[in-house]
Amino acid sequence: MWIAASFVLLARGSVGPTAAQPAGTLVVGAVAEPVNLDAAQVTDFNSTRVIRRITEALVAFPDDSTQLVPGLAESWTVGRDGLAYTFKLRKGVRFHDGTPFNAEAVKFSFERQIDPNHPFNKLGKYPFASFNFGTIKSVEAVDEHTVQFVMKEPRASFLTIMAGAAANIVSPTAVKKWGADYPNHPVGTGPFRFVSWDRGQRIVLEKNPDYWKGPVKVERVIVRPIVEDQARLTELLTGNLDLAVNLPPDFIAQLENHPKVTVLRGQGAHVWYLGINNQKKPFDDKRVRQAMNYAVNKEAIVRDVLKGTGLASAGPVLPGTWGAEPGLKPYPYDPDRARKLLAEAGHAAGFSTTLWVPESGSGMQSPVAMATVIQSNLKAVGINVALQTMEWGAFLAKLRTKEQELFALSWAAGNEDPDLVVYPLLHSSQWTPGGPYRALYKNARLDDLLQQARLVTDQGKRAELYRQAQRILVDDPPWIFIDHEIQVGAVSKRVQGFTLHPSFDLRVETISLK
Amino acid sequence: MRTYLVRRLLLVGPVLLGVSVVVFMVLHLSPGDPAEIMLGPQATKEDLERLRTELGLTEPLPVQYARWLGHVVQGDLGRSLWMKRPVLGEVLGRFQATLILTGTALLLSTVGGIALGVASATRPNSLLDRLSAVASLFGASMPVFWLGIVLMVIFALWLGWLPASGMYSPYGGGDLRDLLAHLALPAITLAAASVTIVARLTRSTMLETLGQDYIRTARAKGVVERLVVLRHGLRNALIPIVTVVGVQAGYLLGGAVLTETVFAWPGVGTLMVQGILARDFPLVQGCVLVVALCFVLVNLAVDALYAWFDPRIRLE
Repeated sequence: MWIAASFVLLARGSVGPTAAQPAGTLVVGAVAEPVNLDAAQVTDFNSTRVIRRITEALVAFPDDSTQLVPGLAESWTVGRDGLAYTFKLRKGVRFHDGTPFNAEAVKFSFERQIDPNHPFNKLGKYPFASFNFGTIKSVEAVDEHTVQFVMKEPRASFLTIMAGAAANIVSPTAVKKWGADYPNHPVGTGPFRFVSWDRGQRIVLEKNPDYWKGPVKVERVIVRPIVEDQARLTELLTGNLDLAVNLPPDFIAQLENHPKVTVLRGQGAHVWYLGINNQKKPFDDKRVRQAMNYAVNKEAIVRDVLKGTGLASAGPVLPGTWGAEPGLKPYPYDPDRARKLLAEAGHAAGFSTTLWVPESGSGMQSPVAMATVIQSNLKAVGINVALQTMEWGAFLAKLRTKEQELFALSWAAGNEDPDLVVYPLLHSSQWTPGGPYRALYKNARLDDLLQQARLVTDQGKRAELYRQAQRILVDDPPWIFIDHEIQVGAVSKRVQGFTLHPSFDLRVETISLK
Repeated sequence: MRTYLVRRLLLVGPVLLGVSVVVFMVLHLSPGDPAEIMLGPQATKEDLERLRTELGLTEPLPVQYARWLGHVVQGDLGRSLWMKRPVLGEVLGRFQATLILTGTALLLSTVGGIALGVASATRPNSLLDRLSAVASLFGASMPVFWLGIVLMVIFALWLGWLPASGMYSPYGGGDLRDLLAHLALPAITLAAASVTIVARLTRSTMLETLGQDYIRTARAKGVVERLVVLRHGLRNALIPIVTVVGVQAGYLLGGAVLTETVFAWPGVGTLMVQGILARDFPLVQGCVLVVALCFVLVNLAVDALYAWFDPRIRLE
C-alpha cells in the first residue's frame, strides 16, 4: 500500500476521472486489437469495426438494419437471370489520398482478391475470397462510372455479400504504393481517414472533411484495445473511454443505474445453437431431437445466464427479418413431453452422450455456463451429458473429425439474408469437413428449397421458400435452438446519436459529442 | 572468471536453439492451426486447404522448422501471419514496455523484499514480522489476474487515483508522470508475489547470518547495530538473495504476460497472447525467442554478481 501511495503522490494531478477529454475526440474500447486494416484480409469484428470507418462498399446497410441501400454505387440493376450485376457509381467521390473513386478502382479491389494472376494477389491472403466472391466470373469497367459483375452462376445473396467488409473499395494507388504493407496504411473513401497506429495502445482516425455524405461531427476517433472486461468497464466509468461493447452480462446491472453511462442494447444478426450429430444413434431419430428441444429451458438460459442479452430462438433465422417465418414459436420448455417422446423412441431409461464446448470464441456468448444449464436440463429427462470444454482453435479442428455427438456453436452472419445462414449451416452439400455444416442432417426437400431460394432473385419468392424450409427445420430439428444474441454496449453521457448495429458494426460516424 | 563467462555465453546459442525447437513443436502439434482460427466456423475445406498452402503449413514440420531457422540465423524472424508486419520489429517495439514493467516490478520486489526481510529478521516474532508472514502467504497464493483486478477496482474505479489500463493517457500525455501513473498498478500486481518470496528468504538467511560468531564479535567490538545488520549481516546473506532475485526476474518476465493482458499494457505479453490465440506461429516464436534470450542474459548477470559479492567464487 505504501508503494501504491507513493506512486499516487508522484503521479497525482495528471490522472483520475477528471482527465481532460478534448472536445470532438471519441475514445472507443475494443475487445482486442485489430489484426490489420485491410478488409479483404481479416475475418474478425474487431478489425472490421475499424476498417469500415475508412473504406466503404458499393452496397451499404442503413444505420438501423441490414436491408440493402446504395453505398458507393448510386444504383444497380440485376440482369440475365441473376448472371450480371451492373452498378452505377457515385460521381465526384475521392479516396483520402486524393485519387478518384471510379470503375477501375472497383475492378482493382475485387480482382486483387479473386484473380491469381493479378499483380497484387500474391501480396495478401484473402481468406474468404472464394466464400464471398467465388461465383464472380469477371469484373468489367464499362465506363468511368459503371461496373459490371458477370457471374458464373446466380446467387441471390450476392448484393448482401457486396455490402460486406471484404467488398470494400480500396485506393489502388495506395495498394500499389505500400504493397504487402498496405494493411497497415489503409486508404478508402470513408467518413474517417487513417492517421496512426501505436501497437497495443491505440489507432487514431481523423474525420474526412471531404466525405461524400458530408463531414461527420466527431473530429477524431481513438480505438484502444482492452482485453480484460473489468479494465474496459473501469475505463468507461472513469471517463477514459466513451464507448465500450461486448460487455459481459454480469456487468449490466452495475451499469444500468450508473450516472455516468447509458447502456445500449441491439439485436444482432446471430444464432447460437446446440448442434446434434444426426448421423449418430440415437440422434437419427427425430423424436429424440424433438425431445431435446423440449427439455432445454432456453428462456431460463436467456434470463439467468445471459441476463437478457439474448432472444430465445425458434429456428435459425432471426425473427422480424424478411426471411423469417412469423408463425414460428420457440419450442416450449416441457420436460414431461420430452420424457414421453424419449419413451416413444425407446429411450425411457435415457442414454449418455458427450457435449463439446469451446471455452470462448467469436459469438459464443457464455458457452460454458450455457452448456452447463443445458446439461442439467437434459439430465432431468434422463440424458446424461458429459461436458468437454476445449480451446477455440482445438474445438474447431475437432469438429472436422465428424466424431461429435453434441456441440455448442454460433454463427454471426452480420446480415439478414437467410442464404448466408441456412445454406452453409443446413444444406447437405455443406457437410463438414467440406463445409461448415456439422450437424450432418440431410433432407432432400429442405435441400431443394434452400437451393431454389438461392437461384431466384425476387425477395418475396425467396421469403416464401425460406418459410417452408423453417417449418421443416422446426418439425424435424437438426439442432437444439437456443438464442440470438442481443448486443450490449455502454456509452458515456456525452455521446449522442449512437445505436448498436445488427451487423455488429460500430457506426461511430453517427455520433455527436456533447 | 573470464573463461567461465565466455563458456556461459557460448551456451546461449544451444539454449535458444532448444527453446525454439520446443516452442515450434508445441505450437505446431497443438490442435487448431492459423487457417482454422482465421477462417473460423464458416470455413470450407477448400478455403482451409488453400490458406494452409499459402501459409506453408502443408509441408513436413522439419522442413518448416528448417526454413524458419534459416531465416532466423540471418536475423529475420519472418512476417506475422495476420499483422502483415515483420516479427522482429513488432517484438522489439513492444519489448521496451515489457522491460519497463518487469524492471520496475523487479526493483520493487528486491528493494521492498529485502527491506521487509531485514526488518522482520531483526525483530523476530514482532507484529511487523507476523504481519509480513501473513502478507507473504497472501501474496504468494494470489493469482496475478485476481490481484490486478482487485487493485484496479480499488484504486481506479472506487478511489479514482490511478488509471486502469494502458501505458499512456489515450489523449496524448506521454510524459514521465503519465507513465508512472499507468505503471503503478501493473508493477505492484506483478511484484506482489516476488516481494513476499524475497522477503521470506531474506528473513531466514538474515536470521541465520545474525546468529553467526562473527556477528557476535562485531557487536562485542562495539560496532553500531545498524552497521552490524547491514554490513556484516546483509552483505553475507546476499548470495542466496541474489539467486532468488535472479529467478524472480525470469518469473516476472513470464508473469508479465498475464499482468499485461489484465492492464492492456502494450508489451510482448499482450502481443504473445494475441499471437497464441490466432496461432500466429512466426509471431509467437519470435516473442518466445526474445524473452528466452533475455532470461538467459539475466541468469548470466546473476552468476556474474555472485563473483562480485563473494570473492571466494571469483577465485574458484
